[in-house]
Amino acid sequence: MLDPVILSAQPEQNTKSMGESAPERAKPLGRAIVVTSGKGGVGKTTTTANLGTALAQRGASVALVDADVGLRNLDIVLGLESRVKHHLLDVLENRATLDEALVADKHSEKLFLLAAAQSREKDDVDTEKMKALILALRERFDYVLIDCPAGIELGFKNAVAGAEEAIVVCTPEVSAVRDVDRVVGLLGNRFRPQLVINRLRPLLVKKGKMLSVDDVNAILRLPLLGVIADEPEIIVTTNKGEPLALRKDAPTGAAYHAIAARVAGEDVPAPMPVTKESFFDKLGALFGGKKA
Amino acid sequence: MSSRKIVITSGKGGVGKTTTTANLGAALAKRGKHVILIDADIGLRNLDLVLGLEKRIVFDLVEVAEGRCQLRQALIKDKRFESLSILPAAQTREKDAINEEQFASIVERAAEAADYVLIDCPAGIETGFRNAVAGASEAIVVTTPEVSAIRDADRVVGKLNDRGKPIRLIVNRLRQEMVRSGDMLSVEDVCEILAVELVGIVPDDEEVIDTTNRGEPIVLDENSRLRPIYDKIVRRLEGEIVPFTNFDQPGFFGRLIDALKAG
Repeated sequence: MLDPVILSAQPEQNTKSMGESAPERAKPLGRAIVVTSGKGGVGKTTTTANLGTALAQRGASVALVDADVGLRNLDIVLGLESRVKHHLLDVLENRATLDEALVADKHSEKLFLLAAAQSREKDDVDTEKMKALILALRERFDYVLIDCPAGIELGFKNAVAGAEEAIVVCTPEVSAVRDVDRVVGLLGNRFRPQLVINRLRPLLVKKGKMLSVDDVNAILRLPLLGVIADEPEIIVTTNKGEPLALRKDAPTGAAYHAIAARVAGEDVPAPMPVTKESFFDKLGALFGGKKA
Repeated sequence: MSSRKIVITSGKGGVGKTTTTANLGAALAKRGKHVILIDADIGLRNLDLVLGLEKRIVFDLVEVAEGRCQLRQALIKDKRFESLSILPAAQTREKDAINEEQFASIVERAAEAADYVLIDCPAGIETGFRNAVAGASEAIVVTTPEVSAIRDADRVVGKLNDRGKPIRLIVNRLRQEMVRSGDMLSVEDVCEILAVELVGIVPDDEEVIDTTNRGEPIVLDENSRLRPIYDKIVRRLEGEIVPFTNFDQPGFFGRLIDALKAG
């Protein structure tokens, strides 16, 4: 069942059933992509914020939805925490309209955030209403990126409900690979999952102390969108609320832009960390050197 | 002395709950304690991997809950320590395959056979969290010094307070050089926000990645940089007063950074 209030911005109720006789819309439905992983802390929120920023910098209109009810963080990563007045559940429960709840990003003109409720629980979300909300967003935005909570419980199911595609984020660790494999199994074929490998340390891979991109994808066998290196600036920019994708000249920022281009359908190569040692690699090399 | 039932939790995922559980368990076993580790992350289990015991799993938590096997049949003895064993989670089931009463009852039975029962909680605050917390009489909250992790930890601390569980805090993956450059919150900042008793500070160290992938707890390696840190946490858990290492000495990360700059 579709909620009339959620869809109030758009007179049409169900796009599919109306078929070709549907009145002309301003734009085709946007793409709803869930960013998920199974395991927590692998970089779902960071990926959502950076991909959203990069897509918006390319001129697309983007809505980011934080589906982590009770443990929201996307607002912090975007530096918007003090601007959140209404949240996802306010919209689902008709206490606020979408326009009231969407927070405009500080940096990117066409980027908006729909924050999760912090003091509520995941089982408060009605799956059907969530689906209708994502559809309403797709009518207004080119991209709807849904930041999925960790785990495979109800929060995961609700985050996935309205999505049509999935990006799975995995770090080169056996535990993360195992969890992603489980999530890909749960997603099935419908979401055409694509892979972002996050926090790779090239030097550790070279030393045989970290799984390589090939190791990871020998198990997962997913289309690779790109690989992001582990750099301390990710932590810094996350704490500051300024996604790295704002800095296209920085290697990590450029990598997110390449991922965004690939998501948009451009034929550019999947970004790989440059072979130069990352900061942590240098640190590790020094440690190793000292120990010997 | 009655046994201790401690849940290791965090709210946010990927901050080091499983690594902490495995290493505290091994450090306690090394001191001669009988320890049972319970993986409460049904559907996304990993504690078995971190301990390198994944190939030995026969029965799991859900099968014990459903009475399809005895607890002792499902327990897997660690390869290295006689007194350490784990109860693996089911991989192909859901968190709601077990309820809070069943979980608490399993923890209770485990406590009869051990000095310590450590429960590795799943990320989030859903059913899996409620189950993992149900049987515990105390909690260790693990957080990293990042705004998002602390916000999630704060939410969890609130929930644990509501349930009247005593809480201790481990600050994990500290990068002192980033604290000094003002790019990372300090341990003092974290403790002030969360207002719970600090029981350990663990620096960020790449040796964790390697040992985790190999299924070897860090505390087994005599040359490990982190081994003495986990040993100290365990002594604090046992009630000893052990001073905290001051990482803000010129040494450690600081020297490395200086060396880096010089190089």
